[in-house]
Amino acid sequence: MSAPPESQYGDKAGTQPDSNQLHIPSDAELAEMSTDDLVRLGNRIDDIEVVSDRPRFPVPGTRAEKRAERQVAGWFILAAVMGLAFIVIFIAWPWEYVSPGQDGDLLYVLYTPLIGTTLGLSVLGVGMGIIAYSKKLLPEDLTIQQRHDGRSSEVDRRTAAARLVQTGQQSGLARRKLIFRSLGAAGGVLTAGIAVAAFGGLVKNPWKEGDDSPLLVTDWKSENGERVYLRKFDGDPEDVVLIRAGDLEPGSMETVFPFKESDRNDPEHLAEVVRSADSPVMLIRLRPNVTVIKRAGQEDFNYGSLFAYSKICSHMGCPTSLYEDQTNRILCPCHQSQFQANEYARPIFGPAARPLAQLPIAVDDQGYLYARSDFIEPVGPGFWERRSS
Amino acid sequence: MSDQSPRPRRLWARAGTKTRRRVAGFLALGVALLAVGGLYTVFQPEPETARAQDAALVREGQSLYDNACITCHGSNLQGVVGRGPSLIGVGEASVYFQVSTGRMPLKAQGAQADRKKVEFTPQQIDAMGAYIQANGGGPVVPAEPDAALIGSDLGRGGELFRLNCAQCHNFTGRGGALSSGKFAPPLDPANPHQIYAAMLVGPGNMPTFADTQLSPEEKRDIIGYIKSVSPDSGAVNPGGNGLGGFGPVPEGIVAFFVGLAALIGISLWIGSRQ
Repeated sequence: MSAPPESQYGDKAGTQPDSNQLHIPSDAELAEMSTDDLVRLGNRIDDIEVVSDRPRFPVPGTRAEKRAERQVAGWFILAAVMGLAFIVIFIAWPWEYVSPGQDGDLLYVLYTPLIGTTLGLSVLGVGMGIIAYSKKLLPEDLTIQQRHDGRSSEVDRRTAAARLVQTGQQSGLARRKLIFRSLGAAGGVLTAGIAVAAFGGLVKNPWKEGDDSPLLVTDWKSENGERVYLRKFDGDPEDVVLIRAGDLEPGSMETVFPFKESDRNDPEHLAEVVRSADSPVMLIRLRPNVTVIKRAGQEDFNYGSLFAYSKICSHMGCPTSLYEDQTNRILCPCHQSQFQANEYARPIFGPAARPLAQLPIAVDDQGYLYARSDFIEPVGPGFWERRSS
Repeated sequence: MSDQSPRPRRLWARAGTKTRRRVAGFLALGVALLAVGGLYTVFQPEPETARAQDAALVREGQSLYDNACITCHGSNLQGVVGRGPSLIGVGEASVYFQVSTGRMPLKAQGAQADRKKVEFTPQQIDAMGAYIQANGGGPVVPAEPDAALIGSDLGRGGELFRLNCAQCHNFTGRGGALSSGKFAPPLDPANPHQIYAAMLVGPGNMPTFADTQLSPEEKRDIIGYIKSVSPDSGAVNPGGNGLGGFGPVPEGIVAFFVGLAALIGISLWIGSRQ
């Protein structure tokens, strides 16, 4: 066994000249062989050695064998019963939502765990039954198969290589340049076509709209000179409540969204705006006697003690809305950036490097707050084309 | 009559009409003035101090204040620099929140006032509240039973909670960290009145939510939502253990380690020989 067998064919006999020498039986001999004989022949061909092959229960019909049989069957019966329970529960159990504390809430909350448990136990039962069968009832055998890790014989390798070389020479592709090149062109263009079909849809020019490109503007941008108001959101996009300057007490914050009067009867657009990623704005009313530092160019963006900052963190775009009304800090929960609300929301701690974008606000003749314009810089995290400020 | 002496009568009547008009005018003016005055007294808004009419309660509150609070908040509620803020205008709601949760009297100056054992009886807290309310007014928690403060529109309450509260208090009220050692506390121990008071006054670094911002009904719905997701709401936990209610991270860790251990155990059992 020291040298690996060269091949599964005749030359194996040369390396192993002992009793393992393979005799390939004729068709007539094969017809006369029993099942056991055939298995033994197969084992010899595949180099398998059966070390031991002992039945678990040499005497059939003992009480121990019956018990093992019952145990295996028990798993399968469990699988069947649980499968049946799963079907019944899936169809008949009360699955519709019931609030906590109301009649039937226990039954409702048990629905998902129950279908999971029953289906899981059913699958588990089948698997456990099969494993238990092989462990308890199948004969306890130990067989060893030798690994054949040698390469093909030298003759096989040489002849196969020669066949390939000859095919290449006979094709004459090396000589017929026109065919070779036109075939290359066809293959190349076909590959390019497949690539275009697969990835072409992903290639978009985000700057097609110039200064109105999506990364540069938000829903706060006014269209056709229409005024964009600040609105509250209470879960129902169609329940539009505008904000007056006096609605906020000192030291309070309200998350506001843009609203245009022309959208009032457009439920789809109303819902879109309150859920769009770049429109949430924190409207903050500072406490009195807080020293305010304004950013150059944004001196008139606030309305009295009301300041409106984008909720989108300038670091990675998380909603940074943990407003502390005594320290006037706005904390971002993702990476602990902190912004100073009374100093143009400049970053004072953490990875954020730019202040939050500030929305210029004013009050109309009926006292409602509106945005005088869109943000003067892109909100949220930076990008290559962003003009730094 | 008309045919006898119409002329002199008309003369008398002319003179009389003038007097009568004058008298009637004065009478009408008097009636109108009386009516306006009466209506004014009927519809006159009650003054701010009306709630603190019980002078005895205010006196009791003042004596409690003088014993427990005066060191940090000053003899005239004006506050002491470096110790405590002014209490003028903070209102009964603020007193109720701070004292009934045990946060006041403060144990030590620090980043955060912790909830701890309550030092005063409800009656004493009422007295202190009346005293503070009598000096400057301020927000007041509705005098209704707990159940009346728990709203029934849990869907709206949940939506408002996620918009206004969840950023600090977590989406099921588990609380969370703030800057420099401060934190937003978990909401389970707070009763409906304390939550209502906290929204009204914004204790510590919490922003204020005036009734113009969150209407009383919206506040009640938010309380209803908080109570419905609290572990002691009586809601059944289908998994058997909420794992702190922090969501997918602890649940994923448990699923990963428990599931992995189970899979390894089963593989070992399948591969074992008897």
